[in-house]
Amino acid sequence: MAKKKIRKDLIIIGSGMAGLTAALYAGRMKLDVLVLENGIVGGQIVNSVRVENYPGVPDVEGSALMAALQEQAESFGAVVDEFDAIQHTQLQTEHKLIETDSAVYEVPAVIIAAGMKHRPLPLAEAARYEGRGIHYCELCDGHQYQGKTIAVAGGGNSAAGAAIFLSKYAQKLYVIHRSQLRADKVAQKRLYELPNTEILLNTEITGLYGGEILEKAELWNKETDERYSLPLDAVFVNIGSTPNDEVFKGQVAADSYGHIIAGEDCRTDVAGVFAAGDIRTKEIRQLTTAAADGTTAALLADKYIRCMKEEGKW
Amino acid sequence: MVKVYSITKCPWCDKVKKYLKSRQVEFEEHNIEHSEADKAECLRISGDLTVPVTTVNGRDFVVSFDKEKLDALLGL
Repeated sequence: MAKKKIRKDLIIIGSGMAGLTAALYAGRMKLDVLVLENGIVGGQIVNSVRVENYPGVPDVEGSALMAALQEQAESFGAVVDEFDAIQHTQLQTEHKLIETDSAVYEVPAVIIAAGMKHRPLPLAEAARYEGRGIHYCELCDGHQYQGKTIAVAGGGNSAAGAAIFLSKYAQKLYVIHRSQLRADKVAQKRLYELPNTEILLNTEITGLYGGEILEKAELWNKETDERYSLPLDAVFVNIGSTPNDEVFKGQVAADSYGHIIAGEDCRTDVAGVFAAGDIRTKEIRQLTTAAADGTTAALLADKYIRCMKEEGKW
Repeated sequence: MVKVYSITKCPWCDKVKKYLKSRQVEFEEHNIEHSEADKAECLRISGDLTVPVTTVNGRDFVVSFDKEKLDALLGL
């Protein structure tokens, strides 16, 4: 049976801070807007137990912040659908098509705010132990390691947050990072104050070993050139992110990492397609900059849609 | 009866529960952080403690959110 074709003013791909902010603004401008999310509504920040740097909100769980934003966007008419996965997109035509499991949406404008996903540990054995010692979500999987020896791979704010969260489960916790910590000073201070935690800098994980489940990792201290084995029950990987570009790859210009090339106006090289949030080429990726992108993209998408209507193209 | 084994803070557990509600599927929630018996049952069903685990009969199960597999398991 052919899928039903549905016209909308605007589709937003992704529901992180950029996507939901764009939805809020689009809703307030009375656009018929649909947000499609293949993963978790709220994006990666829902895994953060503590957000302390969002202006005006001193201390909040990531999930609570994003739930409030979703509710705010929906109160102005935006619709968020997290169960109708995008299968294909056709973005380079004047009328853009987004095919999901259940429908084909036709729109004049699209905002891509699909965000990022965890970069996998670059070791062949990592896939073998995924879910059995190698994990990417401390909130979901940390509880399995009560009283165990856990490592966090990475040195940024996400890694620090993961380590602080996991320290309540771990009997012994290691933070393993290939260079110096990049986390902000507040997070670093909290990390160094944890009683059960050892921080191994300039150290790389070079191998993973075990049977059915992970049992140990091989480490290389790059400063001393020492190689040694460390018994571990789990490694939680926080070594950066890569763009979520599967459903539109090749249709808009992107850099070698997959970030969509767009300036502060969020316009891509395809008319009517805007990029907002972490997926856009930019130097700083924060919740606040994602919110700014969502605002800009929605306002300029509205302007674009009005022009299309005035010119009789929509 | 459909059972969902979950923990308190778990975005994918929340997504599975929201999906079941959106499809009007009644289910029992079993928080394995609150019950050792539920924890043991989750381990027996799936072989580890990765959640969410959705099951209809304690034998066939789906780990995490996979709409296609959930639909097949639940006959949706």
